[in-house]
Amino acid sequence: MADPVLLTTSVGSFPKPDYITKARAEASRGKMPRSELQGLEQRATEEWIRFQEDLGVDILVDGEMYRGDMAAYFAENLEGFELGGAVRSYGNRYYQKPIAIGEVRRPNSITVEWWQYAQSLTNKPVKGMLTGPYTIADWSFDEHYGSREDFVMALADVIHAEAVDLQAAGAQYIQIDEPAISVRPEEFDIARRAFEVVTAGLSATTLTHICYGDFSTIYPAMLDLPVDNIDLEMANSGYVLLDSFRKAPFTKQLSMGVVDVHSHVMEPVEEVKAGILKGLELVPADRLLIDPDCGLKTRTVDEAKEKLRIVVQAVREVKQEKGLA
Amino acid sequence: MSAPLLTGIRGVHTIISTVLYRVDRTFAGAPGNWYRRREHILEKRMRQNLLSTTVGNYPRVALEAGGASVRRAWTRLDRDQVTIDNVHTEEDGFTTEVLKEQRAAGIDVVTDGQVRWDDAQTYWARGIEGFDITGLIRWFDTNTYYRQPMLKSAPKWTHPIAARDLEYAKSQTDLPVKAVITGPYTLAKLSLDEHYGDLQKFTFALAEVLNQEAKALEALGPAMIQFDEPAIVRPGNEGDQAIFEQAMRVLTAGLSTKTALYTYFGGIGQLDASRIFALPFDVVGLDFWMGPENWDALESFPAEKELGLGIVDARNTKLESVDEIVEGVKRAAGHVSTDRIHVNPSCGLEFLPRDRARAKLLRLGEATARAKEALS
Repeated sequence: MADPVLLTTSVGSFPKPDYITKARAEASRGKMPRSELQGLEQRATEEWIRFQEDLGVDILVDGEMYRGDMAAYFAENLEGFELGGAVRSYGNRYYQKPIAIGEVRRPNSITVEWWQYAQSLTNKPVKGMLTGPYTIADWSFDEHYGSREDFVMALADVIHAEAVDLQAAGAQYIQIDEPAISVRPEEFDIARRAFEVVTAGLSATTLTHICYGDFSTIYPAMLDLPVDNIDLEMANSGYVLLDSFRKAPFTKQLSMGVVDVHSHVMEPVEEVKAGILKGLELVPADRLLIDPDCGLKTRTVDEAKEKLRIVVQAVREVKQEKGLA
Repeated sequence: MSAPLLTGIRGVHTIISTVLYRVDRTFAGAPGNWYRRREHILEKRMRQNLLSTTVGNYPRVALEAGGASVRRAWTRLDRDQVTIDNVHTEEDGFTTEVLKEQRAAGIDVVTDGQVRWDDAQTYWARGIEGFDITGLIRWFDTNTYYRQPMLKSAPKWTHPIAARDLEYAKSQTDLPVKAVITGPYTLAKLSLDEHYGDLQKFTFALAEVLNQEAKALEALGPAMIQFDEPAIVRPGNEGDQAIFEQAMRVLTAGLSTKTALYTYFGGIGQLDASRIFALPFDVVGLDFWMGPENWDALESFPAEKELGLGIVDARNTKLESVDEIVEGVKRAAGHVSTDRIHVNPSCGLEFLPRDRARAKLLRLGEATARAKEALS
């Protein structure tokens, strides 16, 4: 069988339906038992799994109905962290930035149960979703370690243990997101060494999502990351990142973001197809995966679904027109 | 002079300026004597031993449940429960609260907390003709984001951008209020440029635009005008120093108000420090947390300049003890005379949760008072 080409996937998060938003607020005020909230989160997860299946997405995500912030979620489930008050991210978006107050330890696996639940709903592969040690550290306050490197490396051990558990549970794809990795080019080596710790000995396909930074400062260095697939946002910058690949060929699998997740505007399918074709000029079809730029959680449910539909339709048309299997 | 006396004098100054403030209001429109006299007293106060100040933004969430909150106002607007006018009223009320919080902490020179700034780039770019606003992008190495401005045509100053905010803040406090402007180099560096395609031209054009803005603000009587230029101390930008220096001269041309250049998110170690110190600003602000090498730069700090001592880490929740802050002030006082030191956080306090921002503010105020006693 030929290698699959232009597989479609998602970066990770989907928007929470209103009933989850309300339930989370009630649960946080102590007005809803944890178990009831969890039941609703399972229902929402199933809805998103069904939606992706019906649409024909190839590699699914659980949509992270049970997570708040991608870094804080791990901190909440690790020893050594407490959650601080709300800190503004942009506009009117806030998150509770974790504070490291002691040695970071993982008392139990964090993501395995949810992954198992999501995978039980479908025959398509569901990605295991982790946040990388560099990003968790960068998005936390540190009152304990006093050294960014020590803090990152301590988290690397913890996230490695989680990845091993996901693989043991059967995950074929494990994504370790490091959106912060491009922020301080001078610390790239710390991030890379941490990543080596995380992926050491894994046989599952590993992916990482990187975004929002000065790309030119860490490319082609990022190709040294011990990971199979790098997921990059392209649509919101008009695919300018692809120019870097002309100078230094992209040697890994690329998951290419083709719709802007921070815009209400729906990209015309033709525009997305043009983006995919640009990607195909530089990365062969069996190494090119297509997805939205980033997690879709900041869009409305309807907008997110429509953006995903556009992605899948554009891929379908490109495959047809190009005669790709 | 004994410490209690100093404290007493400060108290008297506060009373006098409060009285004069009331007189100002009574005599609004009368010949400028009252203003001049008040400015004279404020100026005297500004020269006293060690001043505490803030650098800029402040968390816009409630201190405790039910308290004033700009965040909640915007959320309600999103849900169509209030109008944009309600949000603006809430922002005004919140500004007043932030000013009071600084006063209660004993801060000598205050800012309005920038609670109306979407971010430090678009607050200005939206007000200047020639910019479009594009997608979200990370702001330096913080986990905060801004919408990236894109220059489409030659930038033009058409109206005062921050005048209303400054006037409002001044009306809500008897303390001297700083005006803060994002500097032209940082504004250019963090924007896309479809017009000049040339950083130097872009930066100079913005320097002229912001010079006009500064003149408009100057007329409103701020305690000083602070220009923020974090971009110049970021790794890789040291090659722009010559452009930066020329732009700073354009920026400050013809201003008579006290001016400050604030750098943060790094140290000036990669730059030629003596040339930075020689720029036409009265105050140079340095970040001693993200730029510990700034301690070395202090060795050559010119006697005629004032130092903005970024000694409280505004990017980490870990609280410095009052003693630690006092020690830092004493260390700086080994290089800069105490009547030329502004004690402040390393940058704006909005990177912290509100309770920690307030705790840092309180310690900053207390440490400045303690250092004042210890060093007098």
